[in-house]
Amino acid sequence: MNIVVFVKQVPDVPNIRIDEQRMTIIREGVESIINPLDCVALQASLELREREGGCITVISMGPPQSEEALREALAAGADQAILLTDSAFAGADTLATSHVLAMAVSKLQPFPDLLLCGMQTIDSDTGHVGPQIAEELDLPQVCGVNEIHMDGHLLVLKRLSEGFLDTIRVPLPALLTVSKDLCPVKNLSLGAVEAAFSQKDIIRWAAHDLGLQPDEVGLKGSATHVRKLRPPADRTGGRIVTGSPQFIVDALIHKLESMSILDEEDGNE
Amino acid sequence: MHLEPSMKQAVIRRTVRKFAETRLAPVAVEMDRTGLFPWDIAQEMADLNYFGLEIPAQYGGAGLETISYAIVIEEISRVNAAMGLCVAVHNGVSASPVYVFGTEKQRERFLVPLATGKKIGTFCLTEPNAGSDASSLETSAIRDGDNYILNGNKVFVTNGGISGINLVFAGIQTGEKGKKFSVCIVESEREGLEKGPTEELMGMRGNPVCPIVLHDCRIPLENLLGEEGEGLKIALTTLNGGRIGIAAQALGIAQGSLDVSLKYAKERNQFGKSISEFGAIQDFLADMATRIEAARLLIYRASDLKDKGINHVRESAMAKVYASEVAVDATRMGVQIHGGYGYTKAYPIERFYRDAKVCEIYEGTSEIQRMVIAKSLLNE
Repeated sequence: MNIVVFVKQVPDVPNIRIDEQRMTIIREGVESIINPLDCVALQASLELREREGGCITVISMGPPQSEEALREALAAGADQAILLTDSAFAGADTLATSHVLAMAVSKLQPFPDLLLCGMQTIDSDTGHVGPQIAEELDLPQVCGVNEIHMDGHLLVLKRLSEGFLDTIRVPLPALLTVSKDLCPVKNLSLGAVEAAFSQKDIIRWAAHDLGLQPDEVGLKGSATHVRKLRPPADRTGGRIVTGSPQFIVDALIHKLESMSILDEEDGNE
Repeated sequence: MHLEPSMKQAVIRRTVRKFAETRLAPVAVEMDRTGLFPWDIAQEMADLNYFGLEIPAQYGGAGLETISYAIVIEEISRVNAAMGLCVAVHNGVSASPVYVFGTEKQRERFLVPLATGKKIGTFCLTEPNAGSDASSLETSAIRDGDNYILNGNKVFVTNGGISGINLVFAGIQTGEKGKKFSVCIVESEREGLEKGPTEELMGMRGNPVCPIVLHDCRIPLENLLGEEGEGLKIALTTLNGGRIGIAAQALGIAQGSLDVSLKYAKERNQFGKSISEFGAIQDFLADMATRIEAARLLIYRASDLKDKGINHVRESAMAKVYASEVAVDATRMGVQIHGGYGYTKAYPIERFYRDAKVCEIYEGTSEIQRMVIAKSLLNE
């Protein structure tokens, strides 16, 4: 089974800062990591390859320094890595990004059996890119998958939606976005990190390699325009109630009542 | 001149930090309290190449260069100095000399198990009457046919309680009085090798440091590392590299102290405001951070020279003496920032304070490092 995993290099969230003028995330001096759910997708691809055989290609669109994320993916065990980098790609919204990623997939020979990505990124959090790639390539898509099995030529998937556990059968090729519950991400071996930097190559494709015109990509190719960007609000801390069980229960009921969450009329008395 | 870490070094730091914070930090208190070595976690580390950091992949290692090696030791020691010590000694002064001075056969027999973490290594130099003065060693090796027979007492052997392969420094008897200072590889299961009880140390209590006694311990001639009489060369070369490891360990302890002290200073309120707003606390934090950065640069400088094959005796000694003194000072300031709580086991800073002190003592005391530095200046 040939698998493509899309990875995005994102700033480490506790450090996020916004450039108010340009409405972009400040990346200078901020540690970048692979989007954590993309790591889950990559781990899932490694486990599928172990069972089904095949080849894993990781693809990322981003500035030249995104090479670091791809090298890390190679260290985790991916077979090849493609960096889609071109100054024309800058300022892309999710649609323009998906278009470039879909064009890169179309260029792969043979066409992959399975496309995986995280269900959202921790920086922009839209969850758009996976579904848009699937639409452009006219592939079936399932979002938020937390279990993957093969049954003959079909993928058997599970996902939680609205309190139900869906079981979905999908023919290949298909695109899946994965949730954090799919599988735990393993630690990297230091020898694999060394080898990923000293022994492997990164394939680099620019707009012209993908047959893309400047007005299809980046800011010009974007259908949306960002008006305002702000970091997520700090979560207010919880309160820990200590004491005897009776005291804790009374305090909790009192608190819930005072917040009108628990209606006194609906009690069990 | 590049003073920024490379992309690879950034990935190495992030990889090790994640592993150290999730796997090694949670066991640090228990290791310090009980002195028990977490074999299950060591096995995970072995699988991730932590026991063959600078050893080439063909022998089962990671094949890292020295700056990456220093980053690994720093990041482990930042949360668990006793494990940092285990890894630094195993890699720096046990696996490394077997790689550098070993024959191909010795590499197969001893280096592969060391680099893959199947065996933990030691470096047995210190004796009751020989520490800084290595020339007064009393451990002897007498040739008897195809064997050497070893007799002597080694003390303060780091990793002693968990070791499988030991590098023992001994004088091979030649005639009446002469002896050739040499290094013998002695497996822990050899008859005549006995380990004493674990030392009750002030810090680094998670590392089973113990004496190793050799009583008519026979080893085959092929267990000699290098040639007869090459012991001093092996010891000096090894300790030059080893000092970088200890410096990185001290740096990790200092950085860990700064990190927990920063967090505490922001959380703790007195006189109606965060203590981080007080100038006295800010002075501590600024001093700690500045000296930590200076220590880090000295370590990278020595590491870079080592990787380039340039003499780095002076630079390694400078990095070791400076970083270990920074660790002692930074942990002292850290305890002071924590106030009364810093003197309790409720916070890790008291452990860092105890762990830091030995960095000024082992692998050459600060006084010996200064002798080395001064000698290299005066000989110029």
